[in-house]
Amino acid sequence: MAEPVTEPAVDPALVARFVANATANGFTVHRGAAPLIEGAGVSVASYGLAESGSVVLAAAPDEPRANSLLPDVHVSLLREELILPGLPELFAALSGRLPSALAIVSGPSKSADIEQLLAVGVHGPKEEHVVLLPAAPPPAAPPQ
Amino acid sequence: MSSKLSQPVGSFRVIARGKLGDERIQGVLDLSVTRLRDLRLDAWSGLEDVEALRERAHEIRMRVVDDLEGYLDQFQRSVERLGGHVHRAGTPEEAVALIVAICERRGAKLVAKSKSMATEEIGLNGALEAAGIRPVETDLGEYILQLGGEHPVHIVAPAIEKTKEQVAELFSAIEGRAVPAELEALTASARRQLREVFLTADVGVTGCNMAVAETGTVTLVTNEGNGRLVSSLPPCHVVVMGMERVVPTLDDLSVILRLLARSATGQKLSSYTTLITGPRREGETDGPEELHVVIIDNGRTNLLHGRYREMLACIRCGACLNVCPVFRKTGGAAYGPVYSGPMGAVLVPLYVGLGNAPDLPHASTLCGACTEACPVKIPLHELLLDLRRDLVQQGVSPRWERVAFTLWSLAWATPFGYRLSTALARLGQPLGALAGPGKLWAAGRAVPALAARRYRDRPRG
Repeated sequence: MAEPVTEPAVDPALVARFVANATANGFTVHRGAAPLIEGAGVSVASYGLAESGSVVLAAAPDEPRANSLLPDVHVSLLREELILPGLPELFAALSGRLPSALAIVSGPSKSADIEQLLAVGVHGPKEEHVVLLPAAPPPAAPPQ
Repeated sequence: MSSKLSQPVGSFRVIARGKLGDERIQGVLDLSVTRLRDLRLDAWSGLEDVEALRERAHEIRMRVVDDLEGYLDQFQRSVERLGGHVHRAGTPEEAVALIVAICERRGAKLVAKSKSMATEEIGLNGALEAAGIRPVETDLGEYILQLGGEHPVHIVAPAIEKTKEQVAELFSAIEGRAVPAELEALTASARRQLREVFLTADVGVTGCNMAVAETGTVTLVTNEGNGRLVSSLPPCHVVVMGMERVVPTLDDLSVILRLLARSATGQKLSSYTTLITGPRREGETDGPEELHVVIIDNGRTNLLHGRYREMLACIRCGACLNVCPVFRKTGGAAYGPVYSGPMGAVLVPLYVGLGNAPDLPHASTLCGACTEACPVKIPLHELLLDLRRDLVQQGVSPRWERVAFTLWSLAWATPFGYRLSTALARLGQPLGALAGPGKLWAAGRAVPALAARRYRDRPRG
C-alpha cells in the first residue's frame, strides 16, 4: 500500500465552537491533560456536538450508563476529530446503528423547578468535565 | 370516559377567580411565564432560519398524522425486533390495567417515575397505589406536587406556583428534621430522598417525548437527568406514549429536537437527550432487561380525521402557555389537572368531548400569540374559534346565549335595528347596564363606557 495515510480531519473552528458552547452549558473543558478527580466517573465519548456543546455517550459493555449518572463528578474523554456540527450530522454518522442507550449530554444535571431558580446536580453529576484529546495518530506503517 | 381530563361547567371561572385574587401567584406567573417566553424568543433568534425549520417540523408531524397507523406498525415491529414489547391501549382503564399487570408480574413494590403527562392523563399513580404499588415521581417539580397531593399547573414547569418555604415544609416532613428554605439545601434533600428510589425501584416508568418508527427508538428529554436514571437503573422500563408521538426517521427527529428544547426552555438541547433503542444488550452491565412501550389512544383517534387533526402535531413544549394572556393571569389549574394553556384548551375538549370541557374553548382572547409561538405551526387560535362554533352547533352552549345571539344578529341585520340597539344601550348604561347572563360575562372584564354621543350623530364636515 503506497497510498499516503490521510490524517483524520480536525476543523479548528468546529472545536472552538464546541468549547464555547460546552463551557456555556456548564462543562469544564480541558485540553490534553485529564484532571485527576477521585471518585469521578469516566466515559469515552462517541462524538461531540459543536452547535449545542454536547458530548454523546453510547452504552456498551465497557461503557455502562451508571458511569455518567451516579458519581458526583463525570469526565468525558473526547477526540477532537469526533466533534460534529450538530444533530443531523450525528444521526447521519450513526447511520441507523444505534446503541441500546445514546445519551446526548449538554451540561450538568439541572432544574429550575423551585421558583424558577437554577439548581445544579439534582439527580445526575453536579460537575461535568470534558477532556479534549488530539486526533488519533495515523496508524504506523507496517514493517517492511 | 376519561374522567381525569373532564371538567364541569363553570369550574374554569371559579378557579381562575381564586388565582386572579392571589397577589403572590400573579407575581409568580408574571415573572416565570414571561421569563420562559423571552428565553424561547432568544433561542429562536439564534437559529439560522427558524421559519424554514418550523415549516419542516409541521410537514413531518402532518406526514405522521396522515398515516399514523402505518408509522405505529413500523415502530412496533422495530421495537419487537430489538426484544422490546409493545402494547396498545384504547382507554385510560386499559392502559393502567396493562401497566399494573406488568408490575405485578414482576412482583414490583416500588415504581420510579420520570415526568410524563401521558401518565397524568391515565391516572397511573392512583391505579398503582390501589394495587399496593408505591409510585414515586422523580422530576423535582412533580415530586413536590406528589408530596403535596397536587397536580401540575404547567406542562414544562409543573410546580411553577410553589414557594421555597412550601417546598421546605414538605421536605422537612419527609426527612423528619427541619430542611431550610434555601435552594441548595432543598436540592440536596431531594437528591438524597430520590437517589434511594432510583437504586431500589423495581420498575421505571417514563413518558416518551418522541419515538422513531424506523429504528424503534424512544426519546426522553430532561434537564435533571431523572429520565436517564429511571430508564437505566431499574430492571424493567415501561414507556407510556401518546399514540401521536412518533416521527418516521432519525433525520425527522433531529428537526423536532432542534425546536423542542429551544421552545420549551430556550436551551439548544436540554441537559439530557436520551435515545433508548431496545432493552439492555448482551454484555452490558446496566440498563433494563425488560422494555415495554404502552401506546395510549384516550381520544386521540377522534382527532385523526377532520378539522382538528393538526392538533396531533403538538410536541408538548409549552411555548403557547408562556405567551397566552389568559394563562398568564389564571395559571394552569383552572384548565384542569393535566393540560393547560391554549394547547390544553384545544386538546382536552377534543379528547373528552365538548360537553365534558365546555369552558375551555372560551379560555382565550383569540389574539393569536399561541399560533405565532407554536414551533410546529398549529393554528391554535383558529381551532379554538372553531370549537366555539361546535359548542353552538352541538347545542352544548347555554340556551340564553344562543337566543341572545339570534336576537342580536336579527337586530343588526337592518339599519333601523342597529340604531335602535345603540340608542337602547345608551339608555341602559346608566341603569347599571348588564344584568343576568350579561353580568356574568362582564364580571372580570372592564366594560368600556359608551361615548356621550354616538359617532353617527356627530356633526359632519
